[in-house]
Amino acid sequence: MATRIQFENNCEIGVFSKLTNAYCLVAIGGSENFYSAFEAELSDVIPVVKTSIGGTRIIGRLCVGNKNGLLLPHTTTDQELQHLRNCLPDQVVVQRIDERLSALGNCIACNDHVALTHPDLDKATEELIADVLGVEVFRQTIAGNILVGSYCAFTNRGGLVHPHTSIEDLDELSTLLQVPLVAGTVNRGSEVIAAGMTVNDWTAFCGSDTTATELSVIESVFKLREGQPAAIVDDMRKSLIDSYV
Amino acid sequence: MRLEKCWFCSSTVYPGHGIQFVRNDAKVFRFCRSKCHKNFKMKRNPRKVKWTKAYRSLHGKDMTQDSTFEFERKRNRPERYDRNVTEQTLKAIPLITKIRHERQKKHITNRLADVL
Repeated sequence: MATRIQFENNCEIGVFSKLTNAYCLVAIGGSENFYSAFEAELSDVIPVVKTSIGGTRIIGRLCVGNKNGLLLPHTTTDQELQHLRNCLPDQVVVQRIDERLSALGNCIACNDHVALTHPDLDKATEELIADVLGVEVFRQTIAGNILVGSYCAFTNRGGLVHPHTSIEDLDELSTLLQVPLVAGTVNRGSEVIAAGMTVNDWTAFCGSDTTATELSVIESVFKLREGQPAAIVDDMRKSLIDSYV
Repeated sequence: MRLEKCWFCSSTVYPGHGIQFVRNDAKVFRFCRSKCHKNFKMKRNPRKVKWTKAYRSLHGKDMTQDSTFEFERKRNRPERYDRNVTEQTLKAIPLITKIRHERQKKHITNRLADVL
């Protein structure tokens, strides 16, 4: 079920939030609308935590995580680290890592089983990722871009990648990740997929600029529509109608 | 807020003091005062500058290996907040500092006694 939201009039949702199967991190914004949108969908299932990283609001691009753990850059303050450790369930391992490439959300893309990383990542960091997140790590590029974390978003059920990814690349990535992949855009043609949306196994949040076509692509590749026909019609109506006049 | 160590002399840098220099390879250097910053700009090696902790530790003038130093190590994997643990830690900190100072003094007296 994909929802369209905005963070303080900005459509780049994936920058200000991080959504996984076990928790959701949200940036501290001026108004509570952003937080409420996540709370309305998720609060009875997973903890929704308001946080900052290194005093900034761009938390989605700085941290990376899945249901097993959360990795934070070295710029994270001790107080933020403690706050996250207190708010997240005990099965999630919270770890701060010392890495030159500190925007982990841009360098690493992961789901619960596999992670794609920036080709220049440290060996020690790679081992930490495999250990904390419990994933198999592959160094890859997407459409020639080394920032894999920004140009693709994938979950355990599907993935969306940069629109200029060639078909061979798409097939190769698909076999590596073992999930169906589609090359598409978000937020009216933005190529930076992971910055424009955030997704987990059962929900997705996109920027409000996302067109109905993009939304239907997202819902189909991430398998967000439930089976019932009535639900399908309702969902399709929501994604096909941009606004009520 | 975090009390950092000066890269050059290893003293604590309190908030509002010192300069932080970020090099192009993203390595951060913190200095407690302009003396250390200027020495760094002159490309002096702290291990060869007599008044720094780096020199004193290297040449055995000051105590290096001790269990009291383990308490101050930077931890990257935090533990859940527990009020009792925090209370005990806060009570223990002055005791540990006292013990550490005693041991450092002992180390120096032993060293001077050996010389004579």
